[in-house]
Amino acid sequence: MAHEARSAALREFFTPLVGALGYKFTPDTELADFLLEQEAVLEENKGAPYCPCQGRTRTREHDMTIVCPCIPYHRAHFDAMRRCWCGLFVHLDVTDPAVLPQIAASELGVEE
Amino acid sequence: MSDPVFVYSLSTCPWCRKAKEYFADNDVAFEAVDVDLLPDDESDRLADEAYSLSGSRAFPVVKIGGEVIVGYAPERFAVLLETQA
Repeated sequence: MAHEARSAALREFFTPLVGALGYKFTPDTELADFLLEQEAVLEENKGAPYCPCQGRTRTREHDMTIVCPCIPYHRAHFDAMRRCWCGLFVHLDVTDPAVLPQIAASELGVEE
Repeated sequence: MSDPVFVYSLSTCPWCRKAKEYFADNDVAFEAVDVDLLPDDESDRLADEAYSLSGSRAFPVVKIGGEVIVGYAPERFAVLLETQA
């Protein structure tokens, strides 16, 4: 992993933040490692560890809402899915993230 | 099927990769573009196109016929492909 050190640092930094929000890292360690590496790449190339699965608009107002962990900005949507959009974080009580699909906020009747 | 399957994706998104793998593995002809790998102007144009279809900045955005699905949803892909066949 080319960005192993930064990925590890992001994991350490995020753990208490998302814990306070009722979330934890996905038990799917392969997925978590991949997503953290992508965030390290985005941080290096684009200036912040943006969500790897949400598009930037290069407007500060929007892009701030997709800097990981972006849970507070998408709380209703993520709580309804019991995971964040990219799947890096799941609700504390989730043991099998494979059963939690991505569902658009509009389909859940919540704000994105 | 009148319209091909089209996947708007991000190169950093594992669910976008899974969506493309789904169509490849099921021998479904599809087109895909990694929006983030394009020059800024083209990236903006396609990101806005995806947004106009989905109302969301989340990826992947998958267009099957006239329907649009946001996210990796293989069961829904299968249903739409069946209805489009």
